[in-house]
Formats: sequence, structure tokens, C-alpha cells
Amino acid sequence: MRVTLAPAALIALAPASAFAVNYLSPEQAARLMFPDADRFDTQTLLPAGSSRALGVRVARRGDAVLGYVVLDDVIGKVELISYAVGIATDGSVRQVEILAYRESHGGEIRLPAWRKQFIGKTAAAPLRIGEDIANISGATLSCTHVTDGVRRIVAALGAARRAGALG
Amino acid sequence: MQRRARPLLGTLVEIGAPAGHEAAFEAIAALQAGLSRFEPGSDIARFNALPAGASLRVGARAVEVLTAARQLQADSDGLFDISLGTGPAAWRLDGDRLHKRADGVMLDLGGIAKGHAVDLAVQALQTHGATAGWVNAGGDLRVFGGLALPIRLRDEPGGGVREFAALSDGAFATSHYAPGSRSALSRPLPAHVSVAAPLCLWADALTKIVALTGRCDHPLLARYDAAAWRHDAP
Repeated sequence: MRVTLAPAALIALAPASAFAVNYLSPEQAARLMFPDADRFDTQTLLPAGSSRALGVRVARRGDAVLGYVVLDDVIGKVELISYAVGIATDGSVRQVEILAYRESHGGEIRLPAWRKQFIGKTAAAPLRIGEDIANISGATLSCTHVTDGVRRIVAALGAARRAGALG
Repeated sequence: MQRRARPLLGTLVEIGAPAGHEAAFEAIAALQAGLSRFEPGSDIARFNALPAGASLRVGARAVEVLTAARQLQADSDGLFDISLGTGPAAWRLDGDRLHKRADGVMLDLGGIAKGHAVDLAVQALQTHGATAGWVNAGGDLRVFGGLALPIRLRDEPGGGVREFAALSDGAFATSHYAPGSRSALSRPLPAHVSVAAPLCLWADALTKIVALTGRCDHPLLARYDAAAWRHDAP
């Protein structure tokens, strides 16, 4: 084990305010979750009582539907998380993958334009430790928002399928 | 080196490695299913529901964490207590049998199991051929294979994030206790501490000892080859 403390001069600098990590693009996540699919049809899902449409990728192999990948993002106190939920045809959650994470201590996290440019970004950028990384140690951030989001998505997708609104 | 993240252990778990992500995430999910007191079917939830005098068989993961917790409890003269005061002496592990000796004793591995989950994930990565990488469970993290991982510290009162250290071949954990924080400690508040140790289980657990005693020179730290820092009052 080796710990090298940051020099005091660096510690004294004003704290940085924003970090972002892009893990997977929606396409990469969809392929990971349904590797047997030969195509993904894009549809939108408008959950009952919500004004915000969710992007859905329907995983297909030939005529058969293998499952669904639903894209969403949630905002916490200082973090913005884009994630994908893979749902099997029986309605069970197969996998949840984080697509992108941003931690911000500035005001921009609440701005729609700022959010928009962030969502759906690809994870093609090569690893650069220390530049885009989020190895932030502190009070553990809760992922309650993601957990709640997954629950909402499962309910909305189930309702849409029962109503025949999804292929 | 590929980075992936999933919501697990009540936080965001990030894995950076060339291979083995799936197996590592699965190891963490299995530990959560077996040990979280919030999972109704877990060994811990089932133990908590037992009447006094009863016992149950627990899995290998539970045996590992309970054994470490018991050792730490003894080494810290009872300071480390996974019963959170409900009955430090009222649980006993005998092989893979966990005995309940009094009504009302409830175990909570929240102060130690997350670190073990990180260690198991690292093990899974290595088993699947990763020669270098890291696992970061919401700030409780471990890095291996010669990488020097920069660690930034969240500035709890002021907001923002600052450079703290670079870590190689070891683990790092931070705990913060303040009014309204997710963890509760029976100690004058606040405390904001970090511990580095070879294994994440010890880094995670030892933050509680440092937070409870306020001592970065606590004798237990040397025993586990660990170092500690306080970020609140000196």
C-alpha cells in the first residue's frame, strides 16, 4: 500500500466544482443487456401522470421481442445520473447500468441546457486518470433516486405493454 | 481499461478494469443479497427476526464478515459493535451457525460489509485476468496493480471537492458524521475521517474506530497496517 498525500499548495487551491464520467452510450448498454438482439427499435414512452417521455429501445431478434432498455436520468443534491434499465419480457429487471455520472457543486446542475448536452453522451473517450475521474471520497452519495427511478420505469413499461402501446 | 458503474450497496459502485466487470458486480450483488439487513431473505435479516435461543446457518460471506467484526470488537474493547448497542455479547458465531442469545439483538453490517464487498470485487477482477484496476463503492475504494489512483475528498461543510492523495495497491475509506448524515454514531458530532489500509474491509471498519475515538494514532491502526486522517477539527 502506498499513499502519497497531495502537496499542501494543491490542497489550498479553491475546491474543484464539477466532475463527469461517461460510462456507456445507450447503444453500448443495450447491446450489453441483450447481446442476442439483432436490432433495437427506438420508441418513446410517456408514463401516466408525467410530462417527460422516456426513451425505450425494444430489443428484437427476428420477430421476437427479447426485452426493453429504458433510458432515464435523475438529479440528486449534487449529482446527475443517466442510467439504463434492461427489462425482460416478463417485466423483471435484468440489469441496471449507469451511463453517465456528474457531480457538481455549482448551480449548473439545475439548468435544462446543461443537462441536455450531458445526456446521451458516449463513453468513447479513453481513460484519463485524474482528468475526468470521480474517485471522490466523502459522505456516501445515495442512489435512492436511481432505485426510485427503476421502480417508476418498471411500472410505466408494464402499463404501456398492457395497453398495447409497446411493440 | 474500461469503466462501468451500477447502483449497488445503496450507492454507486464504479469498476475500472480491463476485464471481469460482470463477475465483480455479481460478487457485490451476492454479498448485498446475503448480508444487507434491508434484504428480507438475507442472513442478517433472518437473524434479526429470530427469537432468543434460536440459531441459523449463514453463508460463507456472512462468516467472513462476522468473524472480522468479532475480531475488531475484541481488539477495540467493544467500541466496534455491529449490534449497535442492542446486544454486543448476545450473538455468537459457531462455525457457520449464528446463535441469538437474547431478544432484541439486531445486527447491522453497514459499517464493515461494504469494504468487504469491494475486496471481493477486486478478487473477482483478478480471478478474471485483470492485472490492474479499481473498485469504488461510493468513496470506499481499492486499487491494485500498480495504478496510482488520485483521490479527491468531498468538502463536507463547504461543498466542492479537493485533491487529497494518490493511492496505489491499497484501500481508502471515508466516513462523515453530522446531524442529518446517513450514518449514526453514539458520539459527540461531528466527525469526518479517512483511513487507508491494505484491505477495504479494514479501511471501512477502522473509520468507525477513528470517528468514535477521534484518534488518528489509535493503536489498532498499526495492527492493520492502516493510516488515518481527520478532516474536521485536528
